[in-house]
Amino acid sequence: MEFNIVNPKTKSELLRAIRKETTFRFGAGCTDLLMELKKKPVENLVVINLSFVVDSRFTGLKKLAKSFWLGAMTTAHTMVMNEQIKNDFNVLYESAHNLASTQIRQVATMGGNLCTASPSGDIACALMALDASCHLLNDAGVNSVVNIHDFFLGVRKTILKKNEVLYGLTIPTNKKQTKTVYSKFIKIGTRRSMECSVVSLAYHIQVNEEGVIIGAGIAIGASAPTVRSALSASGFLIGKNIHLITEKEKEELACKIVSYAEPITDLRATAWYRKEVLLNISKSIFE
Amino acid sequence: MKKEYNVIGKSIPKHDAHIRVTGKAIYGHDIILPNMLYGAILRTLHPSAIIESIDLSEAKKLPGVVCIITADDVDVNNIGYKRDHPILKKGDANCIRDEIAAVAAETKEIAIQALQLIKVKYTVRTGVYDAFDALKESAPQINKFIGGKFENKNIAEKFHYEHGNLEQEKKNSAHIVSRRFTLPRMTHACMATSNITAHFNSVEKKLTLYSSTQVPFLYQRDMAHALKINPSDIRVIQPVIGGGFGSKLDIHPFEPICALLSMKTDRPVQILYSREEEFIASPIRQPMVIDLTAGVDKNGNFTFREINIIKDNGAYTSWGATTPFVIMQAFSSLYQLKACKFDATAVYTNNVFAGSFRGYGNPQATFALERVIDLLAEKLDMDKAEIRLLNANKKGEITGQGLYFDTCGHKDCLETVISKSNYHTKRLTKQTGRFKNGIGLASMLHVGGGAKIYRSDGCGTILKIDPYGYCTIITGSNEIGQGSETVLAMIASEELGIELDKIKIINTDTDVKPWDVGVHASRTSFVAGNSLLGAITILKEKLNKKAAELLHTSSLAFDYSDTKIISLETHEAVALDKVVREMHFSSPNELAIANYFYEPSSQFQDKNFKGNVSGTYAFASQAIEVEVDTYTGNIRVLDIHVAQDVGKVLNPLLLGGQIEGGIMQGVGYALTEELLMQEGKILNPNFHNYKMLTAADTPNIHFYPIETIDKEGPYGAKGVGEAPLIPTAAAIANAVSNALGLEILDLPITPEKILQALSLQKQTTTLKTNPISK
Ligand SMILES: Cc1cc2nc3c(=O)[nH]c(=O)nc-3n(C[C@H](O)[C@H](O)[C@H](O)COP(=O)(O)OP(=O)(O)OC[C@H]3O[C@@H](n4cnc5c(N)ncnc54)[C@H](O)[C@@H]3O)c2cc1C
Repeated sequence: MEFNIVNPKTKSELLRAIRKETTFRFGAGCTDLLMELKKKPVENLVVINLSFVVDSRFTGLKKLAKSFWLGAMTTAHTMVMNEQIKNDFNVLYESAHNLASTQIRQVATMGGNLCTASPSGDIACALMALDASCHLLNDAGVNSVVNIHDFFLGVRKTILKKNEVLYGLTIPTNKKQTKTVYSKFIKIGTRRSMECSVVSLAYHIQVNEEGVIIGAGIAIGASAPTVRSALSASGFLIGKNIHLITEKEKEELACKIVSYAEPITDLRATAWYRKEVLLNISKSIFE
Repeated sequence: MKKEYNVIGKSIPKHDAHIRVTGKAIYGHDIILPNMLYGAILRTLHPSAIIESIDLSEAKKLPGVVCIITADDVDVNNIGYKRDHPILKKGDANCIRDEIAAVAAETKEIAIQALQLIKVKYTVRTGVYDAFDALKESAPQINKFIGGKFENKNIAEKFHYEHGNLEQEKKNSAHIVSRRFTLPRMTHACMATSNITAHFNSVEKKLTLYSSTQVPFLYQRDMAHALKINPSDIRVIQPVIGGGFGSKLDIHPFEPICALLSMKTDRPVQILYSREEEFIASPIRQPMVIDLTAGVDKNGNFTFREINIIKDNGAYTSWGATTPFVIMQAFSSLYQLKACKFDATAVYTNNVFAGSFRGYGNPQATFALERVIDLLAEKLDMDKAEIRLLNANKKGEITGQGLYFDTCGHKDCLETVISKSNYHTKRLTKQTGRFKNGIGLASMLHVGGGAKIYRSDGCGTILKIDPYGYCTIITGSNEIGQGSETVLAMIASEELGIELDKIKIINTDTDVKPWDVGVHASRTSFVAGNSLLGAITILKEKLNKKAAELLHTSSLAFDYSDTKIISLETHEAVALDKVVREMHFSSPNELAIANYFYEPSSQFQDKNFKGNVSGTYAFASQAIEVEVDTYTGNIRVLDIHVAQDVGKVLNPLLLGGQIEGGIMQGVGYALTEELLMQEGKILNPNFHNYKMLTAADTPNIHFYPIETIDKEGPYGAKGVGEAPLIPTAAAIANAVSNALGLEILDLPITPEKILQALSLQKQTTTLKTNPISK
């Protein structure tokens, strides 16, 4: 594995590097990139190292009027340490907290987790349940926004063009009327750390004073070619009173979630197992 | 021996802890010799194939390549316990590890690049990947180097043992249980990958090997045989070793290959495994199928056990084939037993071959045995703790196999974990809901004072004290991380009154140190400790004489403390260093040096495998509580209560390390670790999919040492290293069975197997009849 590295220090240096290089890859924490290059080396590769770019939008977190800004270079560790994420978006906190190990969390970034487009990306799965919007920047300096539901195209494929970089994303603030949030990331694997999800389920359900569900996002990971949003399951919940959900409705919800799963059999689990567990944990949402 | 100790029994940190954690320890990977080359090995692409031709021409042209060897270029003997293993393979590839060619080059990268340029033509054959298939008449002969010794061409080794009247005991049995157990491949996954640096000096015709072997003297002999040179022309130097666990008991082909490359090039050569290579090409715990039938009389006394084991030997025979030595001890002698018949057969296949691994077959045996004990108790409707207590081994017992338990903490161990874990309350707690808890028990018996399987199970020590009062222990035994250096230093400090930081251990060089059989069988503190005590006694006789002269006393009764020798009669003291100086520099000018060779009192077993094979025996019991998530099949080990007859605690901190580390290996064996193979290829040669557990998975471990003070051991101590891992999988399986009412016949108990069994359990209404198996 051999490559050259360029280290842009500003946004404009970054854009210039993208324009200049032909065979290049972005490197953020490089926890995915290095593994990939070790397996499949690329000749004459240049890694554009994103980690020296000084720009608070790219690296920082910020509360905006109607949303929360998360720079692409935010590390899992930063997410774990951020109070607002923990209070308002517990699902995101949990996804970052259970990622890999302390050491990897120091360097692994949100941007890397999304752009690597792994079917089992934990942060990506949580962000999908949070209905995030991805902010892209191209080499001409033009911004564009795309909803996370449209971001993933397949295993390790995103809508990002070669000359585009993910700059950050926005998570909609919880609704004003929201009284309680049921927000959780359920990660299934055999180990309690250093584990890649065998199945995951992310949900972020907002409930008002009366117990009526006024917002719901549900996403599944490691169950399909991409992390997926279980939109019909979310829709099914809107307007229901959380205290009055029947056993039958819980079953129905679980079936709706599982209907998005198209798991594969691999070394870590069979497709049967993944579906069975997804069904079981989906039923547990209101337990 | 005095009862109150100054150093023994204290929690003294490992003597090499600081250099290890500060990165200053010099591992094999850190060695750089002047003019050194880097070696790399080309392995077969197919686990069963005819090697038609090997074309080296392109590889040889690559700048930086210095030497390439194949089987045709070397004149060597086979290696392995049965000498059935060619160092470089010619004609046949029989296993995915097979070494076909080796390169020495100026850099590691060039060596690897050269491998890619070697063109090998194969004719792929259908391999045999199941031991039972290999036993069929129609199977091809897999290993051509031995054969004809047994009735089947693919049998590598056989063991038969029996005691008592089996047929009579069958008749005396009120209940008989028969089960088949299947055990997986587990790998050592040492943190330091395999490594060797070989340096052949063509002028002196001497070979120096920087090697992480656990058995330097046997290694020297085997290497000499392989290379057709004199053993004493080989000097083995051990750098700091990053994990052994039994994996370095055999010599492996890469080691003589590295020596050959050095001999051919007349330059030092180093071979370092990558992590992937480590998974593929280092040994494993023996996979085996155990058929166990066992009986119990109406009062709960064990009557007989009949065992038939088929071991997948892989393509070549290593020490792993001899694990039945230990396996049969567990079956014949763990709990009192009237009759036993044991057969084990190691069968060649085209799979990777096993080696030795901490526990040496005992975890497999104990898993099967302790599961069946639970089933026998269920048949009798007897409490599972009670049946174990009733049959527990006793002090003074001579087992059917001839093992003599001069001390025996088995019952104490059982009683301790039963009460500390609240076993009886926990067992009966009724479970409802998603999470189900269970608790299980298991015990183990293992050699605790070495194991006489070689002509000598001894260890030599040379002890010296210098004129400054510093002590050097030159011991035959070696340190592979287990802490034996620290224990030896503690013994010397205790006996000679010298501070720990004035004690040096020399144990890494076969040209210097006296003979020892090696680090295995939990023997080092026991055997090397006794050897050191022997040397201390001799040295003290010399020192005492000089001290008496200096103190003008006729009594030779002295106490050694605080770097002084104190007369017990006059209470006058003289400094130890002064005594040494007087010995050295005044007439009759004698060195303060002594040597001693300790041979344990154990016997060589007879041809029926009977005899008292170890100096003493260790016992342990574990009570383990688990929580099973019925939604996911995940098993969480909550609490492990472990009581172990350690004879005497020499150092609580180091002992705790052995217990915790061993237990985590046992939990991995029970729940997650399996080297997956398909058609002879390894599917998960990485930590991503080979699931070793992490710190976050560590349960609460409650350790209760049981001190039986064995007269054979140093200060009464027994071997402790292997024991903690041995009963863990068995106790976990019993706990899971208790939680869910499922039978467990296979390891590891993966979430998938649990969920499958639970879904079967839902379909059939009868509980307890759904085996978990592949
Ligand atoms: C031991 C280990 C354990 C792991 N455990 C987990 C786990 O539990 N859960 C989990 O989800 N993942 C896990 N991972 C995967 C990985 O750590 C995460 O996906 C991480 O978030 C990747 O971030 P990174 O910054 O290291 O990405 P990088 O490796 O730097 O980049 C990943 C990919 O994204 C591209 N990229 C990065 N940033 C941008 C950007 N801003 N714009 C456009 N493209 C970009 C890169 O070119 C590359 O293709 C693990 C990895 C390892 C090595």
